[in-house]
This record gives sequence, structure tokens and C-alpha cells, in this order.
Amino acid sequence: MKKRKLHFKRQEGLVGYIFILPWIIGFLIFTAGPLLFSLGASFTNYNITSQMDFIGIRNYEKLLMDDQLFWTSLYNTLYYVAFSVPLTTIGAIFLSVLLNQDVPGLRFFRTIYYLPAVLSGVGVYLLWMQLLDPGTGLINMMLGWVGIDGPNWLFDPEWTKPSLILMKLWSVGGGMLLYLASLQGVPKSLYEAAEIDGASTWQQFRYITIPMITPVIFFDVVTSLIGGFQIFQEAYVMTNGGGGPVNSLLFYNYYMWNKAFKVFDMGYAMAMSWVLFLIVFVLTMINLKLAPRWVHYEGEAKK
Amino acid sequence: MKDAYFASMTNRKKVLKIANFILLCIGSLLFLSPLWWMISTSLKTMKEVMSFPPTFFPTDWKWENYLKTWEAAPFDLYTINTLTITILVVIGQVIVNSFVAYGFAKIPFKGRNVLFAIVLSTMMIPGFVTLIPQYVLFSKLGWVNTYLPLVVPAFFGGAFNIFLLRQFYMTIPNEMIEAAKMEGASHFYIWRKIGIPLTKPAMATVAIFSFNGAWNDFLGPLLYVNNENLYTLQLGLQVFKGEMNTQWNYLMAGSLFVLLPVVILFFFFQKYFIQGINLQSGGKS
Amino acid sequence: MFKKGMLFSLIAVMLLLSGCAGFQVGSDKGAALEAGAEGKVVVDFWSFWGSEIRRPVIEKIIEDFNNSQDEIVVKHTFVPWGDIWTKELASIAAGDPPDVVINDIKATALRGQKKQAMNLSQFLEKDDISERFYPELWEATLYEGDSYGVPFNTDTRILYYNKEAFKEVGLDPEKPPTTWAELEEYAAKLDKKNGDTYDRLGFYPLFGINYDVWMLNAAGQNVVDNKGNVEVDTDINRQTLDWLLGWKERYGDNVINSYKSQIDSQQSNPFFTGKLAMFVNTPTFNTQIRDYAPELDFGVAMLPESEPGNGHTSWGGGFVAEIPEGSSHPKEAWEFIKYLTDQDAQEYWAVKNYDNVANIKAAEATAKNAEMSEKDRIVYQMAVENMPNTLLTPTPLQAPDFPTLINPEIDNVMLGKKTPTKALQDAQAAVERLVKENQ
Repeated sequence: MKKRKLHFKRQEGLVGYIFILPWIIGFLIFTAGPLLFSLGASFTNYNITSQMDFIGIRNYEKLLMDDQLFWTSLYNTLYYVAFSVPLTTIGAIFLSVLLNQDVPGLRFFRTIYYLPAVLSGVGVYLLWMQLLDPGTGLINMMLGWVGIDGPNWLFDPEWTKPSLILMKLWSVGGGMLLYLASLQGVPKSLYEAAEIDGASTWQQFRYITIPMITPVIFFDVVTSLIGGFQIFQEAYVMTNGGGGPVNSLLFYNYYMWNKAFKVFDMGYAMAMSWVLFLIVFVLTMINLKLAPRWVHYEGEAKK
Repeated sequence: MKDAYFASMTNRKKVLKIANFILLCIGSLLFLSPLWWMISTSLKTMKEVMSFPPTFFPTDWKWENYLKTWEAAPFDLYTINTLTITILVVIGQVIVNSFVAYGFAKIPFKGRNVLFAIVLSTMMIPGFVTLIPQYVLFSKLGWVNTYLPLVVPAFFGGAFNIFLLRQFYMTIPNEMIEAAKMEGASHFYIWRKIGIPLTKPAMATVAIFSFNGAWNDFLGPLLYVNNENLYTLQLGLQVFKGEMNTQWNYLMAGSLFVLLPVVILFFFFQKYFIQGINLQSGGKS
Repeated sequence: MFKKGMLFSLIAVMLLLSGCAGFQVGSDKGAALEAGAEGKVVVDFWSFWGSEIRRPVIEKIIEDFNNSQDEIVVKHTFVPWGDIWTKELASIAAGDPPDVVINDIKATALRGQKKQAMNLSQFLEKDDISERFYPELWEATLYEGDSYGVPFNTDTRILYYNKEAFKEVGLDPEKPPTTWAELEEYAAKLDKKNGDTYDRLGFYPLFGINYDVWMLNAAGQNVVDNKGNVEVDTDINRQTLDWLLGWKERYGDNVINSYKSQIDSQQSNPFFTGKLAMFVNTPTFNTQIRDYAPELDFGVAMLPESEPGNGHTSWGGGFVAEIPEGSSHPKEAWEFIKYLTDQDAQEYWAVKNYDNVANIKAAEATAKNAEMSEKDRIVYQMAVENMPNTLLTPTPLQAPDFPTLINPEIDNVMLGKKTPTKALQDAQAAVERLVKENQ
């Protein structure tokens, strides 16, 4: 009996591998090689076209000990991540809850809020430069209506990163979509029961909605964190290829891109990418470890 | 007494509903204003686009801008090209990732956590540093100047979507799977008959996300396609951008055109987000 | 579930329509043959000239070249601006690059050093075409004495001024400012204040160009030269910064930022509407005025000099035609490049595109070309006259990314967070360190 169960388990394990086989094959063929290459080249002076000599850990040494801009870019990126991740998460949840109610014109509302997430590219960033114009821009105009004297946004090093976070908030629709999908799995009967017990709307939200969508909140936080560290294009476009006032928009990937494709110090850029990997990996592992404390999977047996 | 309680509750609900509606309306204006800027720019003459201070409404509505935009490059060909790539990518992403994610979520096997950590890790390395080696790889395979580097990887799963779908599979009660297994169902059968129907909203999300991704992909086609007959819409739009100045009106008209299919798709897929599935009642769909 | 049938038939139609071309491995060679190149060498040429103005001009030049001989066929591919070089680099790394690529002249020497661009001396030995071009441009293509690219087009910075506004305030519209002092004096006269804002701004030196151009203008040399000498912390640079700060104090942040964001967003420009009386930009800015503000009565002048007799030094850049390392037909590529930078092709390009070209004879002929309007010729003539004053800022091999070190220091000065003296000292130290590291 026990033997059979073991056999069954082993067989099930095999099935498991079959299920993830496409990913394993793809990983081995398309991803693993380039990743290993970049890891290896991070210990060389690789410049893409003419040299690749082993130089030990010199790139890493220089990066951590001797490169002020590395720290500037890391600080900028951490700042951006620290604010944009919680704000977009909260914004997306809030929006998805509003858009999961029975409201006239629901389909239109959802489409409108989702639209900015689809808009991308240089045009949008230049558009935001106009909107953030401290004098005639729409944002400060609207702030003016409510009596607020708007900041100098992209010209003031204190406000450049908030400008980008604001822009990010505008495209919160992607996250909203995730939460909407997740909310479909929350049984209506739970709300009905709570209603009869006299729970307020806030209590329902806090004790039913939130726990039920924690798996997706977890997903959103982890992926936005990873994505947030990769911020590049918006800063690149909005600073005309510079680093913004006082390098306040010199983000990690931006600096890395400069090293890789402007100066052709690809070995250094690869070392940078592995340092970033380590940082993000540790943060993600912390997230994964903390997850059981707050992420509620319906599928798991309650302990 | 009881009646009064329920009456007050429905009143409260009504108030909330109206407040919600008003809030959404105000928000819509905020969210739409940049879009309006695009629309109005697309209908202006370049002279008006460049005027200072900028005008909110076009003084002269140039509807023919859209025609001119369309004629500036073979956009009909680019649309077909982009659609071909996008549809294949969406099919690959939705089916394969759903399959893989089920494996990660619902089948216990040795090394699952380690492998899943690797899945997540692949997202953490910035694309710039793997760009060159990856290009060299595809070049060695002889795939440069074809759509293969853009399409084939989609059939081998992507970390973001695997993770996403896994989260949704995790919410399916294990007892449900166990019960099906007791009745002799294989995991493959369970995936098809229980997994997919219960994760439809998530799959719709993946479909929308991967549609967007492939439809708006710029770097992929830029790197791997050399023949202009194989160009995509995002590459085509670049003809309006020069080293000196940009034809904003055409660029915006083109961008809006590119946006349209995404909006239509979203409209169509919304039915998957409207109170479709209820786990407790056994997943009628 | 999915509407399988519909979906699959849709895909089938798509694939039929696109002729599966996107999935044919090795379709590159086939396409070349289709172009009627049988028995001829196909030169693969990448440029970022895809706009409705640029594209027909370059394709006409290519067509003329293809018809002018029967051994080489040039195949032109438009690759988007900016990203073209990422793609080029990847293709060089993979050993399958195109044969000719248009690239930024600033980093030609750097690409020569890194063996991305091919050493052209083997071709120059036989036909030396270096005399065709402005010496400053040719100089920029050299690494250790060998050229790695052939100059194609160029630009410079000149002063545009609004004649109408000059007349209005009693200035002679034919006498633009020639020194920094005059510039200030004129600007003060041209300012039209309206409460907290301005109906018209006379001039602000940091619209359209950056501090580095003014440093170049005053010092007459680059802050980092190609030998790795760092000239950041100098009296002249300090004076330049003081001068720039003076302007900033005069107008104040709010006014400046509002104007600047308009200019930076590349969407509207206060010079067009007379809200800015003087503005520094490239000669090709003329085409924007022509198209977007045709009624504007304006004149052009050289950049004012910091002090009388100091020289009207200006700043420029440009593009070169390079043969990427690993090209399969460098000899044929060279033939095409020679044609592309010869007088006829250059003049055709210059006239049709209204662009400054690297070929001296072509540039001078263009300024007299009757096909252009009088105004166009006047501005073009100014550009040609300004070329001897124009310096390039080639990327120094010892400190290729030095601007990321200087820029924040200057930003701090302009924000009032650092004195010019301190900022220049810090910048000097930082750049010197970078040079030392790279040696």
C-alpha cells in the first residue's frame, strides 16, 4: 500500500515535469545561454566587438568602491521603487473595486481607465512633458483651480522623480485589470452573509475583499518591484538622453545602458546587471518568505 | 423594524453607488485628458501643433491627417505583419503558460520551489545585457530577418504570465483536484476541464497583456527584422520621427490607430471580468 | 471556450496574406535577388532617413548611383532613429552587419578604437577624398591618424532674431548683437514685462542649447580634448557660469521653466509667435520657421563673442557614413560612400532637404542655388560662413562619459546649490579621475 503510494507520487512528479517542460526547454535554449554569457563577461573587459579579457572582480570592485554614479543611480531607483510600488498597488486595488460595482457605463469606465496602460512610447512621454509644464501645463493648471501653486516638476530635482511616479500612476490600468480578474473569484455569498451580519462597506472590503485577492496583490507587488527596478525609457526620453537635473533621473538601468551602448563598456554593464539581480533577488525572496503570513490561498488547507 | 433596517441599507447603498459614479466620472476626465491631447494634436496642422501657447481644440479640424498618415508608409502591410506576430504570440502565451502554471501550482514535484525561483529570476536581469548574446544566438540559428525570434519563445512560456496564472491556480481548492483524481482523472484532464474554466478571467488577462506586449513591441522587431516588408506598426510609426523634428500630428494619428485594436479587444474581452465564475458554486460557466 | 475555428481560420488568412515571408529562413538573399541584383554585388545600406522629406532624396541618390555603374546595387533600409545603432552593434557582434551605416560623428573615433567601424585608410591611400570636407569634421573621424568614417552632413549653432521686435523697440534690425554685453543690452530692451510674466522675452542663453556651448564659445576649446587634458576648472568657465547665472536671476525660475518646457517638448516654440525675440539653434531650424511661422520676419547672425575679438566660436555635430567591421563588401561600400559624399549627391541632398553638408564645394554651391528661396539662401550662407567658427565635441576616448559627471555640477550651480568655483573644482576632479581610470 505504502509502496504504491510512493510509486504514485513519483509518477505524479514526472507529470509535474511534463507540465513545466515547455518552460524548461525554452529556458535552456533561449535564456540560459545569454544569462550565463553575461555572468561570465561581467568578469571581463568585454566591449562587444574587440576585447574580452578576464579581469577578475575588477568591474565589481570599481562599481562598489569607486563609482559615485552607481550609488546615485541606485538611490534614484530605490526612491522610485519605494514610492511607485505601494502607490500603484493601492491605486489599482482602489480602482478595481470601484469598477467592480454595478455602475452605469461600466464597460466604458473600465476601458477609459485601462487605456493609458496601453499607450506607450516616446509620444506619451513627450506629451507628459507638456502636461507637466510648470507654466501652461494642464497639471499645474488643475492644481491652480484648487488653489495649489504647482511645483516645477521636471525642472526641480526634488520633483523629477515624483513626476515620473505620477506618470506611472496614470497607467495603473494594467494592475486594475489583474485585480478585476481576481475579484471575479470572490464569492458573492460572502458579501451577502456579511451584509446580514451588519458589516459596513469598509469592513467588507477589509475582511472579505482584501484577503481574497491577496494572491494577486502578492503577484502585483513582486512583479512591480522587479519592473520598477528596470525603469529606463521614460527617463531616457524625458531627459533628452541626459540624467535630468542634478542626475536626479539617472536610474540604474539608464546608467547601465549608457555604459553598455554609449561607452561600450559592456563588461561593466553586465557586472551592474548582476548586482541589480542580487538586490532584486534578495528583495523577492524576502517577499516570498513573508508571503505565507499574509497571502491567503483558498487552495491550501487551513492550518 | 427589520424593514426599516433594510430600507436604510438600500438607501446607503444608493448613496454609495452615486458617489462611486461621480468619482469615476471625475477620474475619467483626469485619465482622458492626455488622450484628448493626442486626439486634438492628431487633428491639427503642424503649424498649429507648434503654436504657443498650445490650443486645446484644433482651430481647423484636419481629418485628412489620418489619410496622410496611412499613406506615409505601407501601414496596411505593417498591420497584417503585426497581427500575424501578435496572434501567434497570444496563442502561445495563453495556452503554454496556463499549462506550465498549472504544473507549478497544483502538482507537487521535487525541486519545484527552486525551479520557480529560477522562473522569477529570469525577470530580474535587465534585457540590455542579454540583448547582444541573444541576438548572436538567433543569428547562429539563422533566424535573423524572420519572425521566429519574436514568435517561437512565446510557445515556451514567459515568467510574468506563468507567475500570474500560478497565483490564480493556487486559489483553486486542493480538495477539488483531489476529488477529480479519486475519480481517476489525469492532471492533463483536470487542467483542461477544471483548471482552464476556473481561471478564465486570468487567461483573459494574460491574453490582453500579451496582445499588448506583442502589438506594441518595438525592440524585438527592430532587432530581428531587416527587410522593410516585414516591418511592424511600431517600426512604421518611426518614420514620423526624425533626428531634428517630429511630425506630431501624424505620429499621434498613427498612435491612435495602433491603439484602436487594443481598445476593441479589451471591450470584447470584458465579459470575462463581469462576475462570471463563482468557485463555491462549482464553477458554472 | 475559445472560438477555435474562427481563430484558426483567421491565422490561416493572415499567414497567407503575409506569404509566410516572416517565417522563411534565409529570405534575405532572395529579397536581394528580387531587387534585380543578379550578378551584381548588393551593398546593404542602413539609414534613419525615413520621413516623407528625407526618404525620397536619399533613394533618388541611391537610384542614381545604381544606374551610374553596373557592378553594385545599393539596397536601402530605413531603421528608426537612435535605435539604428543598437541594431547595428548587435549585427556587428553577430558578424553579419550591413555594409554602410549612417552614424553620429561624435563617436566615430571611439568606434574606430573599439573596432566597430572599419579602418578606411586602405581606401584613402588610393583615393584620398579628405580634402572634400571641412577639416574640423574630417579631424573628428580620425583615431590614431586613420579615418573610420566619411562625413556626410553637419550643423552649427547660429542666432535667430526677430526683426519685427527689433524695430518695435528701436533697434536696428540689420545689426544683431555681436558680443555678450550687447546681447544683454538688446535683450533688456526687447523684454516686455506683464505683471509677473512676460509678453515677450528678449533672450535666454539656455534655450535650445546648453551651458557647454557657451563655455565653448568663450574658451574656444573643448573642456576635455582628445588627449585627455581636462580644462573644466578655469577662469573663463567660471566667468561663463557667472554670466549664465546673471540671466537666470533676471528672469526667474518660473518664467524660464515655462518657456523651456515648451521648447524641450519639441511641440511649440515661443520664437515662432514672437514671445521670444532671440533664439540660438541650428540653420535647419529655418525650415521650421518656414513651415510653422511663415510670416515671421527674422534675421540670423553668428553667436556673439564673449568679449570683442574673442571669436564667434560655435558648436556643431553631424553624421558620417561608416563601414561596420565585418561587412562582406567593403570595397563596394567604399564606392558608394565616395558617391554619397561627392559634390553632386551632397548638393542634391543639401538643396532638397535644406541640410548642411560636409562637402565644402557642395555647401558653398547650395548657398547660391537658385532652387531655394532668398531667405533660405541667406540662412544657408550664414551657416556656411559659420563653419570655420564651428567646433565639434568628439567623445574623448579617455573620458567618453564625462558629461554625466559635469552636468550635475552645473545643474547645482544653476539651482543655486553650489558656487561656480566649487562646482567647477569638483567637476574637474571627477573628470580627471575618470581620465586616469581609463588610461
